[in-house]
Amino acid sequence: MSESGSVLTERDAWPRLGIPRMSLSGATIVGIFALIVIIGSVTTTGFATVENLKAILQSSAFVGIIAVGMTVIMLSGNVFSMSLGTTAAVTAITFLWALEFGIAAAIVLTILFGLGICAVQGWIVGWLGANPIIVTIAAGVLQAGVTQKVSGGTTIYPPPDASYSWLANRVGGIPFPFIVFVALTIVVDAVLRGTSFGRAIYAVGENKRAARAAAISIAAVAAGAFAVAGACTGIAGALIGATNGNASLFIESTYTFDAIAAVLVGGTAVTGGRGSAGRTLFGAIVIATISSLLLLRGYSTGIQIFVKGLIVVAVVVLVQLGSRGRDR
Amino acid sequence: VKRILSIDWLRPRDVYPFAILGLAALGMVVLPRLTSGSVTLINVYDVAQIFADYGLIALAIGLAMMAGEYDLSTAGAYALGAVVAVKLGGHSPLLGLAAALGVGLVAGFVQGGIVSRLNMSAVPVTLGGYLVLFGLNQEFAHSKTVNFENYTIGLTLDEPILQIFSLRSLICLSVFAVVFLALRFTRLGAEIRAVGGDRRASRTAGVPVRRVLIGVLIVSGLSSTAAGALKAFSLASANPDVGLTPLIFATIAALLGGVSLTGGRGSVLGILAGVLSYATLQETLAIIGVEEWQSQLTTASLLLLVAALTAPHLKRELTALRTRLRVRLAAAPVVAGKE
Repeated sequence: MSESGSVLTERDAWPRLGIPRMSLSGATIVGIFALIVIIGSVTTTGFATVENLKAILQSSAFVGIIAVGMTVIMLSGNVFSMSLGTTAAVTAITFLWALEFGIAAAIVLTILFGLGICAVQGWIVGWLGANPIIVTIAAGVLQAGVTQKVSGGTTIYPPPDASYSWLANRVGGIPFPFIVFVALTIVVDAVLRGTSFGRAIYAVGENKRAARAAAISIAAVAAGAFAVAGACTGIAGALIGATNGNASLFIESTYTFDAIAAVLVGGTAVTGGRGSAGRTLFGAIVIATISSLLLLRGYSTGIQIFVKGLIVVAVVVLVQLGSRGRDR
Repeated sequence: VKRILSIDWLRPRDVYPFAILGLAALGMVVLPRLTSGSVTLINVYDVAQIFADYGLIALAIGLAMMAGEYDLSTAGAYALGAVVAVKLGGHSPLLGLAAALGVGLVAGFVQGGIVSRLNMSAVPVTLGGYLVLFGLNQEFAHSKTVNFENYTIGLTLDEPILQIFSLRSLICLSVFAVVFLALRFTRLGAEIRAVGGDRRASRTAGVPVRRVLIGVLIVSGLSSTAAGALKAFSLASANPDVGLTPLIFATIAALLGGVSLTGGRGSVLGILAGVLSYATLQETLAIIGVEEWQSQLTTASLLLLVAALTAPHLKRELTALRTRLRVRLAAAPVVAGKE
């Protein structure tokens, strides 16, 4: 394979430039995906249309925005959060409720709320070395319990005179949430690569002990990584609330696992330190595309989830196979 | 007896699961009186039934945690086990149970094979496994609750025996006994803990790490699907979307039972004590009659508490905090003197 050879030298020539470094396993994944898209376009009517492309972008946006946040958690070596879906539901409720103070205030409040909820979890995880999966599951149950008490378990509707529908509109044919998704990906990757905070996240994710020895505060980095995730989830929550026009705890159902799947399919290492938001953008689009293909071919939701699971396992295996050479 | 149980009653970490169980039992006797409720043998039966519902999945999660792994697919296996058992067990429940166990075996074998062969963490693999099982489950059940025509099997399984037990809770108890004996009287127990403590070192020391990991994930799959199947027989229906409830219960139970999240520590008896503690707490909350959000808050706080108390850096951070406080206290008079 001469192609992989040239890619390898390219990796050395372009250090730290936000250009996805393509490994052999990465090339395999992109290749297989391209093949699926080509075969899908030829054999499935309605797949390779502009309208369907818009639908794919739309459906990848919410999960993708949450997944960008999830990426930062994973990069910082804190595995993933098991409750960003719940936080998305909680922030969607917050957004619709806060609309009575005006749209700008509602957006700011929602983002800060998501940020706060997650930063606390990150701090606990980083400070005590507590298990992130357990802490985030607990935080999810806590959020569900409190929200149920506060909202009385009902569906929340925005004030009748609120104008928020532009958040769900299309700009030049492209769904606004997807534009936010792409913009967020660019901003997060820029922060990750261009600031000392971003580099600290990579350092801690790669090797906690070494980072601690280099006087990086593990607790602050974990809190920061979770805070970014919370802010992203708050943004997703606001967009979900605006798109649906109502919100309840029921909307959380699949966002958590879908977001984790998007990050993993993008090829970010679950052990931390390797990956990027750009990869997650790719992962979210892959999942949305394949789900759309299955939907058009008449497969049920169950089969779509099943295939999603298979893709996750396959990519995780490929990434592990690809990274084995580097570790030894 | 002491030798067989291998509990050192003087070692705090061996004893605390049972101390918690004692506290939980005391709570169940005392707390309801404050709200003028009363506790009878029926409540003890209920605790045993909760044990029957979630005991096996706690065993699955606990064993994997002892081996230093966390099996997210158990939640999917539990639900799929229920649906498969109900769908295929119409004529013969035993056939349904066998089919459910078959699914658990395959799921555990595939995931265990990947994890051990590639020497990687089980978390991402079993996350994919969870989605695969959950998807199959939705497809199989057409995303609806599946009813089971055979009501008699559920009645038989749940009929009280000696007032506090049922066939179902006795089955679970005997599975615990078998696993306990297997881990106690073969090298398996030591090997699982060794792999959980340090995978690389145990490989060097000659522990068959691959076999242990595959074995643990297979037992985890079998145990989770069996738990789901038995629960479905009992309810005479299978809910394809139970969410993370079984996983959360099992995790709290295993942590209360002294299983360490970082691996290498824990015992079957501890897991048993942990399940009974949490079941007792749930029953107590039910007797008092708390609302759903209150019981959610209790669950969340308990989970956060055990996660924090068992966190590896707790001791270090507390020591650091104390030292900082002491330094500040010692420095205070000097500052005051200057002024």
